[in-house]
Amino acid sequence: MLQPRAAGRELRGFLERSYPPLTVERHRVGMSVLGRGVRNAFRNGIRTFSIVVILSLSIAMALAMLLARDAVGERIASVEGSIGNLITISPAGFRGLQGGGEPLVEADLVALASTPHVVGLTMALQDRLTTADTNLQSAIDPGTLGRRILGGQGGQGGQGGQGSGGNPGGQGGFATPFGPAGPAAGGAAGAGQGGFVLPVTVLGTTDPTGLQALGGGRVQVQDGALFDAGADDHVAVVGARLAEKNGLAVGATFTAYGATLTVSGIITAGNAFTDSAAIVPLHTLQRLTGQPGAVTSATVQIDSIKNVEAAHAAIAGKLGGGADVVSQQDTSQQALEPLNNIRSVSAFSLTGAVVAGAAIIFLTMLMIVRERRREIAVLKAIGAPSGKVVSQFVAEAVTFAGMAAAVGLVGGILAGNPVTRLLINSNEPSPAVPTAGAGPLAGIRQAGRVVGQLPNQAAGLNFDTIRASVGWDLVGYGLLAALVIAVAGSVIPSYFITKVRPAEVLRGE
Amino acid sequence: MLKVANLTKEFARGDRKVVALAGVSFALGAGQFASVVGKSGSGKSTLLSLLGALDKPTAGRIEVDGQEITAVRDRALATYRRAKIGFVFQGYNLVPNLTALQNVMLPMELAGASRRERRRRAVELLDQVELDGAKQDRRPGRLSGGEEQRVAIARALANRPKVVLADEPTGNLDSQTGKRIVDLLRGLATSEQATILVVTHDMAIAGRTDVTFRLKDGRLVA
Repeated sequence: MLQPRAAGRELRGFLERSYPPLTVERHRVGMSVLGRGVRNAFRNGIRTFSIVVILSLSIAMALAMLLARDAVGERIASVEGSIGNLITISPAGFRGLQGGGEPLVEADLVALASTPHVVGLTMALQDRLTTADTNLQSAIDPGTLGRRILGGQGGQGGQGGQGSGGNPGGQGGFATPFGPAGPAAGGAAGAGQGGFVLPVTVLGTTDPTGLQALGGGRVQVQDGALFDAGADDHVAVVGARLAEKNGLAVGATFTAYGATLTVSGIITAGNAFTDSAAIVPLHTLQRLTGQPGAVTSATVQIDSIKNVEAAHAAIAGKLGGGADVVSQQDTSQQALEPLNNIRSVSAFSLTGAVVAGAAIIFLTMLMIVRERRREIAVLKAIGAPSGKVVSQFVAEAVTFAGMAAAVGLVGGILAGNPVTRLLINSNEPSPAVPTAGAGPLAGIRQAGRVVGQLPNQAAGLNFDTIRASVGWDLVGYGLLAALVIAVAGSVIPSYFITKVRPAEVLRGE
Repeated sequence: MLKVANLTKEFARGDRKVVALAGVSFALGAGQFASVVGKSGSGKSTLLSLLGALDKPTAGRIEVDGQEITAVRDRALATYRRAKIGFVFQGYNLVPNLTALQNVMLPMELAGASRRERRRRAVELLDQVELDGAKQDRRPGRLSGGEEQRVAIARALANRPKVVLADEPTGNLDSQTGKRIVDLLRGLATSEQATILVVTHDMAIAGRTDVTFRLKDGRLVA
């Protein structure tokens, strides 16, 4: 039996016989021109560290600006496709049941779909339901404004003045331009100021989700469902306030223009006026009011804000003088101005950061070339062509830039969102200055009131949601920036390298 | 091996024309160990620059291994230097961040030798100049002056040049080390069959060479 120590010797001997000691290569192998360039980048640790720190700041700044520029650019594209790309059309001289003129013709509007850049069309017919037309009671208290605007027109006041538009002899005094030839209740039903009630607004539309004709707002279904806008059914969605006032629930019915309509849903749009209205399919309202093909307002959506001007001209040309065609382009361009400013600032800063990086490399390489002038002369003296010497120095510059790119990439990613926020905040007006036009963003907020009723529009104008997104392309851009900086910064030093004469190596010997 | 005929080099210094070399002629055979002596400003370094194709002569001919180098175009001079000439400098001029071995391998890399061949030849040369194995992996900063110069000599011989030009190779060394370096060069001239021309102002060193040329005001004197 082997003793432990003897067993250990035995085992060691076996291993040495079986596995002879690895012969470590005697020398480190040589390196190529590029390898020497990379290695040279580490010849002076403090200098390398300093260069990498400064250069990485430059690259981080460039990438942060790139991120900010991309983030803002994406938002601009999104806004251009969703805000300010609407054109509203109304009968000439008529707006919101005020004024006069002839209604738009549905067929003419449908024909606009073939106009270049038109991507959407919403049509609406608006009317008012008096107590003579419906069993609904308005959910809006007339107040001073209601009495002044409608009561004054009615002379006698009272809701009886609503329905007699078609009857020139009506006593009601208030005449809706498209009022059905219903019974002329006139002011007889009115009871003076004390009994005055507002009519119920009714809207026939091809899109119950977009109620621009009633002032817009995000339409939310509280109960039930929206109707099929293309149908001609006796259905309606009613605003929450109207439903509450009249005790309506989904499935309930009410009368309008002598017909019975069923409530398919209850909606809210966040404003009292819309929430006090009844919404029905366009064709239903056209039929019930005896106005086939009549439209009081239309909204045309254009593919991008850039094409609004051309589309506006085409539409106005097609509809002629019978329609007021209004675009929101100017307002939206004003809204985009701060974003465009940010994009310009970030583009300039991006260029500046890259140029600064190239300048850092340039000065560094210039210093290194001057410092190693003799070494360059030696290399040339022992037979290195200028191209190889230049390659070695460019490789050194690329190494500096590469290391800086790695650090700068992390910095750029971390700084991307803060820099974007900083740029956006610097373009926002002070909250203490609420007046429109008081700052670059005032235009946006103003625009927000005008066109921000659509959900996507509201989102488009909310700068808080702008976020810089980091993708693999950023890594590519970072490396590309490093390469551009290294090569651009090495051009002149490389020229100096080619001008070093090998005979200089003998000077001062 | 090395033939020089009527070699002349003139410089313009302001309005003045300075004649650094005036009609220098000599010839050296393969394996010969020669020296050029002269005072400072006598034209020694200029002669070395011209022989090493680091500069162009104003007139005259230089022939190395049968090739007229004054006719070689600028672009081809680097190739010529790489293949035919080895330099040894007074200040050694080794690349500081490369090891002794890598410094010797450098000219061979430029000549396109394989990595294996470069390493084999570099080790052989460093052994030949008696730089022991451990020191071959050291950078120049960790070698003595004599060791650095031996590495420089090994580097000069790396591509088996026909001519080795040494500019004051013992200038920075003590006399004992300088003597060993001269002996080394002499031995290498024979073993490598290279023509070695040493520029020096030290007559003791010149006395140990096969041939000595004396330069005075740009001319060879007896």
